[in-house]
Amino acid sequence: MITVQSLTKLYGDFTAVRSLSFEVAAGEVLGLVGANGAGKTTTLRCLAGIIQPTAGSITIDGHDMRSDAIGAKRALAFIPDEPHLFEYLSVEEHLRFIARLYGVSDVDARMPGLLQELELAEKRRSLPGELSRGMRQKLAIACGLLHDPSALILDEPLTGLDPGGMRRMRETIQTRASNGAAVILSSHLLNLVEELCDRLLVVRRGECVAFGSIDEIIAAHPHLAGKSLEDVFLALTSDQAAPGAPAAP
Amino acid sequence: MNAFLYLTWTSARNRIWFQLRRVRSPRYAAALIVGAIYIWSFLLRPTPRGPGSSIFLGQATEMLVTLLAVITLMGTWVFGSDTTALAFTQAELSLLFPGPLSRRQLIGYKLYRAQIAVLFNAVIWVFVLRRGGTALPSPLRAIGIWALFSTLNLHRLGAAILRSSWREHGGAAMRRTRWSVLVFIAIGASIAGGVFMHRAELFAAPSIGVFFDALGRTLATPPAIIGLYPFHLVVAPTFAHTLAEWSREIPLALLVLAAHAWWVLRTDAAFEDAAIEASAERAKRLDAMRARRSVAAVGAPRPATSSLRLAEHGHPAIAIIWKNTLCLRRTAQLRLFIGPLVMAIAVGAATSGAGADFPAFLSTTALVLAAMMLIFGGRLIRNDLRHDMLNLPLLKSLPIAPGDIVLAEVASAALPMSAVQMVLILIAYAAMLASAVQPFSPSIHVALLCVAPFAVIALNLALLTIQNATAVLFPAWIRLGPAVNTGVEALGQNVLATLANLISLGVALVVPLLISWGTVVWMHQQRPVAIALVIVLSAVVLVAETYGAMRLLGTALARAEPAQSG
Repeated sequence: MITVQSLTKLYGDFTAVRSLSFEVAAGEVLGLVGANGAGKTTTLRCLAGIIQPTAGSITIDGHDMRSDAIGAKRALAFIPDEPHLFEYLSVEEHLRFIARLYGVSDVDARMPGLLQELELAEKRRSLPGELSRGMRQKLAIACGLLHDPSALILDEPLTGLDPGGMRRMRETIQTRASNGAAVILSSHLLNLVEELCDRLLVVRRGECVAFGSIDEIIAAHPHLAGKSLEDVFLALTSDQAAPGAPAAP
Repeated sequence: MNAFLYLTWTSARNRIWFQLRRVRSPRYAAALIVGAIYIWSFLLRPTPRGPGSSIFLGQATEMLVTLLAVITLMGTWVFGSDTTALAFTQAELSLLFPGPLSRRQLIGYKLYRAQIAVLFNAVIWVFVLRRGGTALPSPLRAIGIWALFSTLNLHRLGAAILRSSWREHGGAAMRRTRWSVLVFIAIGASIAGGVFMHRAELFAAPSIGVFFDALGRTLATPPAIIGLYPFHLVVAPTFAHTLAEWSREIPLALLVLAAHAWWVLRTDAAFEDAAIEASAERAKRLDAMRARRSVAAVGAPRPATSSLRLAEHGHPAIAIIWKNTLCLRRTAQLRLFIGPLVMAIAVGAATSGAGADFPAFLSTTALVLAAMMLIFGGRLIRNDLRHDMLNLPLLKSLPIAPGDIVLAEVASAALPMSAVQMVLILIAYAAMLASAVQPFSPSIHVALLCVAPFAVIALNLALLTIQNATAVLFPAWIRLGPAVNTGVEALGQNVLATLANLISLGVALVVPLLISWGTVVWMHQQRPVAIALVIVLSAVVLVAETYGAMRLLGTALARAEPAQSG
């Protein structure tokens, strides 16, 4: 479970995220959507412990990110849009390194299946520099999934994947959620969000402008009834949009 | 304004403006004040120009610089240069290469860009050499240094283009490389011939200073000067003492520079392939940087043909050390250590010249190399946070305490460096046993050998913590990545950085030395025991200080944000 209370992040005078509060239950997939610069990546980086919030609290699987950062990080996986990898470690070495850090004791048993699933088996001795963009993304995903995280945070996870890879990634997200992981998915691919997410958190200029299932959001904004998800998204995230009351989290 | 000039000017202006905006942060403001005091005291402070300071501009220094230029360029041709000279940023590659521009224009742009570093370092050296007590006005010396650095930079660029082209042509490449090897063998033979002819004078030198004077004279006379002459032409204006001397030498240096410019502009056939290859290597490693500024480009990591075993259980910090050891194995460039090795051999030879035997030469060379590894090693081996700050988002998402990350990162570089230095100290000790020259009593030798590991580890940990601290505290101001620019044109800033590290170490050593010295005086120990105690106690206190600094650095790392790096 992921619990966020009054999350705020300031950069000097600029407010990147303002007082966000939400919960993601085990087995639930939350879609985080917003226009470019709305504060999605800042929110996800706060959740992953990469940057420290200015105010508010984050709890991952019962571990407070401020007082028990290691416990919280051990329970989660963060898969960023740009795969951050160590360019001097091979595919297999990445997995061994991650296994050691996360205390995965049966890495030799888990690795073949994971490499097979992500079509990396033949590249196990390759360095990231020898992989295509999509392959590097798959390696980042493999690193994230190796320790069976109870919270999964994905920032544009399909970037760089081929159609087969995209389908498998969708299936992976669904499987992980059905196995009890709390998932937060940020993406501009609205059909993906619509297909996978139980609820949406729409942010604009760092603030929550809508929260709930698509039906709940439309119910809170009656003028959007009958419109496509794309129209709903544009209406909620454009600067001209009137700030509608977000559905209760 | 010419588009390239505009791009170069606006990029430099924006970068400086971006760096200066950091000063709004108290940490950066304090660093700026300390840096300004350091620059003032080292470069700008008025100093008396006595005869002692003329060592900077003496014949021995001039000839040794010529020799260093030969060694640098030999390394470029024989061992292969780094591709810094060729690498374009991804933005340049995407926007300029498909544009309606000739290859010659692209090379011209590359030369414009290189001039920023050349001019910056030329200014540094003008301030260093103004202490030489000569009548030559500083602007004229600046022109001499600029010609020297520009020529060396062009030579490196030309060599990188040609070597890349030769790689493309397989067997023909080997034949062509043979020519460059033969040229440098001929130069080496002329130097060796000179040393052989003047061996009596060199071996009879009673001190290191006299030895280097004799070596300077040896290199300035035939046959050595015949091989060194083309290089000496470029170096000479920098060391001119009078206007007349400078006026006589600068035309020839500019002629050599013009010849290099002509040569590089004519080697455009292979340029695009070589530049794209070099740029792609850089891009692969630096895509996380998002191109806010360029970083040092070095060759891609070597393939993962072999690995090291990592146990499944244990402290996570060990996994960081394991990762960084693999990094060291796959990215270390041995050619970077040629310079320190040559300097160590020169000092060892100077000692031999002062009446010592071969074991003494070996012992001194090993000790000097160990000392140089201590002083410069941290600038050359960077498998720590100076490299990993590029991966800050990944590093910070790992379930490991920031303090442990700092400890593991510093240890990753300090431990292999200490191991190499200890091997050199053991060689020095073994050679000393076989030598007729014994500077100390056997008991002091044994005492020094026993306490050497304490001193070596403590000093390496302290120096590397200082260097890692700059990466964590000032990521926007320092060059992150696996290597610094080791080109001659960056020599000035590298010297300044190394000196700043040593001064910081000196400050850190004040308390340990005071405590240990006080303890020894209080205990009234005999000499070997006293020496051992001072070193061990100092090392222990220094390690304690360093550990405290690492923990503080861990707090800073926890607060560091990816937007601050790169």
